[in-house]
Amino acid sequence: MTTFVQLLFAGVALGAVYALIALGFTVVYRSSRVINFAQGELLAFGAFITSWLVLTANLPFWAAFVIGAVATALVGWAFQVFVLRFALGRPEFTIVMLTLGLATVLSSVLPTLFGNFPRSNGDVFGSSALHAGGFSFFWVQIWTIVAAIAVLLGYGAFSRFTKYGLAMRSAAIDPEAALAVGIPLRRVYATSWFIAGAVSCIGGVFLGGYPSSVSPTISDVALLAFPAIILGGLDSPSGAIVGGFVIGVVQELTQGYQPRYIPALGNDFYVIAPYVVMILVLLVKPYGLFGSKPAERL
Amino acid sequence: MTDMPTADSPTADSPMTGSAMTEGPATDRPASDAVPALQVAGLSLRFGAVHALDDVSFDVRAGELFAIIGPNGAGKTSLFNLLSRIYDPTAGTIHYFGDDMIRLRPHHLAGVGIARTFQNLGLFRQNSVLDNVLVGRSHLMQAGAVRTGLSLPSVRRSERANRAAAMEALEFVGLTSVAHLPVGILPYGTQKRIELARALSMEPRLLLLDEPVAGMSRDERGVIAGLISQMHHDRSLSIVLVEHDMGFVMSLAERVLVLDFGRQVALGSPDEVQANPEVIRAYLGEPVEAEAAS
Amino acid sequence: MTAVMSPGLRRFTKPATVVAILVVALLLPFMLSDYWLSTAAFVLIAAIGALGLEVLTGRTGQISLGHAFFLATGAYVAGWIGGNEHMSAAVWLPAAGIVAGVLGAVVGPFALRLRGLYLAIVTIGLVYIGQYLAATWTGFSEGAGGRSIPDVTFGSLNFTNGFSLGSLSINRNGCYYYLALIILVLAMLYVRNVTRSTLGRSMVAVRDRELAAAVLGVNVARTKVRAFVISSALAGISGALYGAFLSFVVPQEWGLVLSIQYVVMIVVGGMTSLWGPVLGSIFVIGLPALLQDVSSSIPFLSNGSNNGVIAPSDAANIVFGVVLVAFLILEPRGVVGIGHRIAGLARRRAAAQAAQAAQAPPPDTTTPTNPTSHEEVQATS
Repeated sequence: MTTFVQLLFAGVALGAVYALIALGFTVVYRSSRVINFAQGELLAFGAFITSWLVLTANLPFWAAFVIGAVATALVGWAFQVFVLRFALGRPEFTIVMLTLGLATVLSSVLPTLFGNFPRSNGDVFGSSALHAGGFSFFWVQIWTIVAAIAVLLGYGAFSRFTKYGLAMRSAAIDPEAALAVGIPLRRVYATSWFIAGAVSCIGGVFLGGYPSSVSPTISDVALLAFPAIILGGLDSPSGAIVGGFVIGVVQELTQGYQPRYIPALGNDFYVIAPYVVMILVLLVKPYGLFGSKPAERL
Repeated sequence: MTDMPTADSPTADSPMTGSAMTEGPATDRPASDAVPALQVAGLSLRFGAVHALDDVSFDVRAGELFAIIGPNGAGKTSLFNLLSRIYDPTAGTIHYFGDDMIRLRPHHLAGVGIARTFQNLGLFRQNSVLDNVLVGRSHLMQAGAVRTGLSLPSVRRSERANRAAAMEALEFVGLTSVAHLPVGILPYGTQKRIELARALSMEPRLLLLDEPVAGMSRDERGVIAGLISQMHHDRSLSIVLVEHDMGFVMSLAERVLVLDFGRQVALGSPDEVQANPEVIRAYLGEPVEAEAAS
Repeated sequence: MTAVMSPGLRRFTKPATVVAILVVALLLPFMLSDYWLSTAAFVLIAAIGALGLEVLTGRTGQISLGHAFFLATGAYVAGWIGGNEHMSAAVWLPAAGIVAGVLGAVVGPFALRLRGLYLAIVTIGLVYIGQYLAATWTGFSEGAGGRSIPDVTFGSLNFTNGFSLGSLSINRNGCYYYLALIILVLAMLYVRNVTRSTLGRSMVAVRDRELAAAVLGVNVARTKVRAFVISSALAGISGALYGAFLSFVVPQEWGLVLSIQYVVMIVVGGMTSLWGPVLGSIFVIGLPALLQDVSSSIPFLSNGSNNGVIAPSDAANIVFGVVLVAFLILEPRGVVGIGHRIAGLARRRAAAQAAQAAQAPPPDTTTPTNPTSHEEVQATS
């Protein structure tokens, strides 16, 4: 029972990170119909730069965190403003490959700038934990969940109650109409990439918290958020968030129980369990659990 | 039920001739005089609260040249998309030579002998005219990846036969001279003719023409009218065409269906329809003189 | 085929030019250093795989990031049949292609139900699942530590020892080079035949306007699955040769980065062109080799001894990313597209000069209204 609760909690914490990543995806997708395949690398960038600022530049964690988030946000923003903007209206393949191009560049820039070895994320929580009722909950995981919920609620409020949020939602529904009404599409897109970058950094820093670390493969972990998004449907931010938590819990429970009960699947099946689940779901529902088929013009 | 032709159906190797056209893709055909090409009964299409089509019923006799007209938004395109199985009706039935058509998907149409043209041109602009027409022959030839890659004699024979058939279709519309040019550089009127040729090369029994003369000059309309008329008489095709241009339709069609706001307003010969006060009211104008669209 | 080609490209693919290229290709091993000969062999091996991706993505329009999975399949089949079962390459080479092709037929139906983005994500998942299998299914792949793949053997001919015919002697690198060349030429002929057939036309129709293609009678499902089969079979053969040439492969090889590199090959080379994959392969395989070669002379490139800032492979990856972005935005038709542009420019200049020299007759209604249109013609071979 203890194991189950601990795993569940770890799963919720992991799911919180996935939910943040999923949010980053959907923010960009809903405003500009672009899927940012570089989300994982942006996350890695945020984690690495924050860690570096703490460990090498000796900045206090919270300062490093903020600077890191802004820096990552700027990378995303710059990609939209200086590259993606020129690909407006291009076919899906082009957009997909452009973001993968960014991912490729980042995946080699990061080890060049920061080195290829795993390191601590530099946070102030370390391995400290809250002991309650016979369970141990790592503080970093608790704060991950808190931070994620805060960001999600904050974004929800931003989207619903501010002019910019409304502009972003309008741009998603009908870019031409939005333009006609005077919504500055380019600024909306740039803002959504800025948000995606910032959110990625937050996710990355927490993902690299104890007992994990910030390592070059952290971007692969971020890609595991894809199944979350697929489950929730590309169109639905709340669906993506729910999907994130579900995937996180599924992963942790799989990691905990699968080697004992289904050893035939190997030792680390939890690494690909989300993808397997995703493929199975897509077989039945090709647009995700909550997604909908887009209208096809002849 | 009309069998869907298998990969190498009997007509695949023979060049398209007039007689092959009337035989159609399958080898056994009931005498088509009694059975109408199309039977539409109580057809309705609703998008939420919007009635795109409301209880439309009509028959198209085998070998008839039938037209559907109506002002903008009357539901012509919806009806067309229902006939080409892009949409599913909310209510009603459609029968094609006696068989239920609603269970067919768009990719079944070619195999049962239904060809359609597109309003916004479904041509592939960067390919040659001949290549575009050849796409229409796809359902008549389906060699696998291995046989095709090895360029076996049977594949090459089939390819030659299909080219001949495609060239015949191009000859019919008078475009053999541009067969090897890319479609994108040709004028709009020519592209519409290429679409016709492609539809013909599919060896259809029923031809659905979606606004075949939209955006054309008077001369071009005359050419198309002549081609459609010729197609109709030479090859005994059943043709359903959707159009705005009253004059064009009235000079060509044997019977006309008039739609307005998704509802059936009139059905009859061109003269009958033109004299119908409902029709006049729908168009808010005088009946158009049935001058030949030339 | 009544291919519509710009005069420039027609010149390029005239039989005389092709023969010239082949002659150069045949003589190349004798002109190159051993380092560059092995690079050239890798180029040809990769080009086979890139050709497959061109058929799937360039011609049929299916976004696939799963190429690494099929390459891996080929390599491990080669390892198993050649290494564990000790059979000659005459068995494991085609087997690699067949097994990979069969897997392609399994994945193909996913493309029927899933649109662009979703298909891309599923193919990414395929890569990760493939790497996981490579690390876990130790009986087949010998696990995370990697496995060795035996050299190509055809009966008594063993590539390890090279090949001698009288005074002519070809070392291991040369053997792989010639084998890859033969297979690449055969593969290109095969793809060219497919291009000029109904299947080839159907592929293009599916890519450009899938719903219209279906209404026109194109069997979209069969076309997509066939595209996957051809693509993965070629990837399997390429992966098998790659594994044998490398002698030893680890699961880390077969990651998303590898899939992306193949996409870079076809984007840079030219996505609907028979020669595009070769050109792209030269770039993607050649650049890291070049950077490695000059790494001792260029200060910021790190190699074994000096303390450079950036590893050649990382530098190459960054270049790939930048070049990919540049080509996608500026010239989506790749190097072949640039070739068209140049040919088109030359043609326009010639036409303008000809028009000035003579009085142009009045055009009739069926000839093109704009003979110097910038609508570039899509060459299909």
